[in-house]
Amino acid sequence: MEDREARKGTQPPYLFPGYVSTQKRAPLKPLILMPETCSSLFSPVFGHDFVRPTDADLTRQHAGEPLGERIIVSGKVVDEDGHPVRGALIELWQANAAGRYHHQLDTHAAPLDPNFTGCGRLLTDDQGAYSFVSIKPGAYPWRNHDNAWRPAHIHFSLFGAGILSRLVTQMYFPGDPLFARDPIFNSIPDEAARTRLVSTFDWRTTKPEFALGYRFDIVLRGSKSTPMEISHL
Amino acid sequence: MKLIATASQTVGPFFSIGLAHLHQDSTTINSADAQTITGTVADGDGQPIPDCVLEFWTSNSFARVPTSVDGKYSVNIETGAAMCEVLLFMRGLLKPVYTRLYLSEAAKARDEAASKSVPQDRAGTLIARQGSAAKQFVWNVKMQGDNETVFFDY
Repeated sequence: MEDREARKGTQPPYLFPGYVSTQKRAPLKPLILMPETCSSLFSPVFGHDFVRPTDADLTRQHAGEPLGERIIVSGKVVDEDGHPVRGALIELWQANAAGRYHHQLDTHAAPLDPNFTGCGRLLTDDQGAYSFVSIKPGAYPWRNHDNAWRPAHIHFSLFGAGILSRLVTQMYFPGDPLFARDPIFNSIPDEAARTRLVSTFDWRTTKPEFALGYRFDIVLRGSKSTPMEISHL
Repeated sequence: MKLIATASQTVGPFFSIGLAHLHQDSTTINSADAQTITGTVADGDGQPIPDCVLEFWTSNSFARVPTSVDGKYSVNIETGAAMCEVLLFMRGLLKPVYTRLYLSEAAKARDEAASKSVPQDRAGTLIARQGSAAKQFVWNVKMQGDNETVFFDY
């Protein structure tokens, strides 16, 4: 119960009317609490044969280099006790520098980049650390409300220890002027939790004559001592 | 002091760019050895949801499938599995919904925790119905409204 209290407001609700698509898709009936039971501890294991080195460099997947500002994003994945999550699969996707996704349903009138797909994946190392190279995605318009623009972001999907550690989130960039008007970002009630989705500029990983560094650390649900017990979560 | 888990955000409409490599390819699964579950995912108006991705977790396997333009999905899971934990992700869901799917009444009855906590009049939404052939099942998901699927807090 203590954990439930500590978590209050740190996750978005299902129904958030300012994000119009939630209105017909959010569950409206009460969610069912499953006390005193355990969810499956199974988690798929993705070996190194599954992830190629080029999967962690989104600028080297085509014949030429993509346009845009080169970035190095790195960070650490830990559980709620601060233990590193090792060998965790991270899947990434993002728009190109012009704010256009390599997707047939993206109709934004910004150019596609023949040298950028915007897809990556990698495994965390023995310290739970990860790092990948990409280009800074552009902001883009969406039709949620009048003159609606998404702040620049990179989608992250992560597997941890069991189904309840599963996380899909978005990493943002510091100082984005679009934060204040973005309902997806602002759906997280707790300001500190919201701010943790904003990466920090990282001088240490910035490489001279090559790319700017950004740091984004991630905490997955669960811990070693109390693996995925629903009553505890 | 425990750390607080990172906040969830929606997968948005373009998740296939990043997630498609793990989509189950029905042509590469030996369906003779599998149980097949098919169904439709619909919104509060009953409209099919074409941009949903479902993950089926059994006690020792994982399968991910997207819905098609008509909101339909089809997934193969291992023979012998009687219960799946299911996560659904889509545009409009700021965090995934979590539910359980039973391939029979008996399987649900064996899962005492769920049997106890799910209201009787909604329990049917968690049970797949037998399809037209052996090892074929149908399970539809309704996000809200009449026959809203039971989703669990987690």
